[in-house]
Amino acid sequence: MRTVIASKKPAWITLAVALVFHTLLLSAQTSKRFDTSFVRVWLLASLGPFEKVVDSSVGGIENIWRGYIGLIHVRRDNEKLLSENGQLRMELAQKSEDALELARLRKLLDLQATSIGKTVVARVIGKDPSQGGQNMTIDKGSQSGVGRDTTIITRDGVVGRVIASSDYFSVVQLIIDSQSAVGFIVRSSRRLGILRGTGGTELEMEYIDDDNDIKQGDELITSGQDQIYPKGLPLGVVLSVGPRQGNFKVVRIRPNVNFGRLEEVLCMTDHLPEVPAGQAP
Amino acid sequence: MKNRITTYGLVGKFAISLIAVVVIQGILAYRIRVFGYFDLPLILSVYYGFTLGRPIPSVVIGTTIGLLQDSLSNVPMGTNGFSKTLIGYLAASAGSKFDVDLPVTRAIAIFLFTVGDGFIISILGLMTGSASNSGIDVLWNWLVAGVFNALLGMLMFGYHDRVTHAAS
Repeated sequence: MRTVIASKKPAWITLAVALVFHTLLLSAQTSKRFDTSFVRVWLLASLGPFEKVVDSSVGGIENIWRGYIGLIHVRRDNEKLLSENGQLRMELAQKSEDALELARLRKLLDLQATSIGKTVVARVIGKDPSQGGQNMTIDKGSQSGVGRDTTIITRDGVVGRVIASSDYFSVVQLIIDSQSAVGFIVRSSRRLGILRGTGGTELEMEYIDDDNDIKQGDELITSGQDQIYPKGLPLGVVLSVGPRQGNFKVVRIRPNVNFGRLEEVLCMTDHLPEVPAGQAP
Repeated sequence: MKNRITTYGLVGKFAISLIAVVVIQGILAYRIRVFGYFDLPLILSVYYGFTLGRPIPSVVIGTTIGLLQDSLSNVPMGTNGFSKTLIGYLAASAGSKFDVDLPVTRAIAIFLFTVGDGFIISILGLMTGSASNSGIDVLWNWLVAGVFNALLGMLMFGYHDRVTHAAS
């Protein structure tokens, strides 16, 4: 089976050198004495293009296949869509009237039209290659204004933040990652707190004692107190308020974003400290 | 001159396979959820360790593939590098001393290397303050990943054997 017979060179020296190199690299990052982020950025810049090419190819094949399968049901779907279209036209006409009325009222109240700020659309091209990792790679980097701590969102809510970026690619830490923490406010009671990722598909609240009014179904939004995520973005819904474990209760949260189906995301390259109510995408 | 070209070709082949494995792992884990349990870089480290039977190239391969994996992960650079280096060396040492031709031996080896890899990464995570989950869930993940990797590893080694036999 082996193609080459064992080397006579002192292999353990190579092993020792490699292990010392990794230890020094880890130590430099832990002590923050040296900035080693260039190693990650350089490797990300080298791997990114390969990841994008392979992802595009796989995506292309997937689209062709889906398109073929989709043709089978196209007639039935077309009839259904035509019917829906008529209904939506009626609703749209009604909404247009509402929008005009809202604009008039805004003018009366001297309010300015607001938005969530400047965003860039990015495509997800890969996931964390480590076992159990909760990060993803996107195809936008510093050339598009995406840098460390850029907030990543979808129309459903917060996805995560950028932890490393090269010119054209970035690595995003998802809020469900076990090392992630986000400041939150309960929308109804205005209670503040910290959400932590579990490494699975849910989030958990930290430091919740018996003296709390959090209940199942409560909606959570970002508090902005972590200085990373702007205030007012939807985070998730309280799934269960569990029994006390140690000093605190276990409160599980279902995130608004379906992390298993992320394809495109928005990178908030420039945003207000607070996202106005109703303006979240 | 011909030797130099052969060496460049060999290095190129290794480089392409290392990059391909990390990229494919990232894309498959994103598109197919269950693929998150597999660790292709680990299987490749063991594969080269066993088939080459030479510790020095295996250490270089383990170091390179680990660093590539770290660059797309949220762990400090060097975490997977450290682990895969050690695994590459141990696999090469085992490959040169023991008979690793039996599918069962290979499967058990990959299973143990997967658990060992998880253990080393957790220890390094605790030391650097970047530890992810701990407890029974992590242990369960290691065991499931070990079984998945062992099965995939057996398929890959089986394919390698068929190709080698067909060529000889």
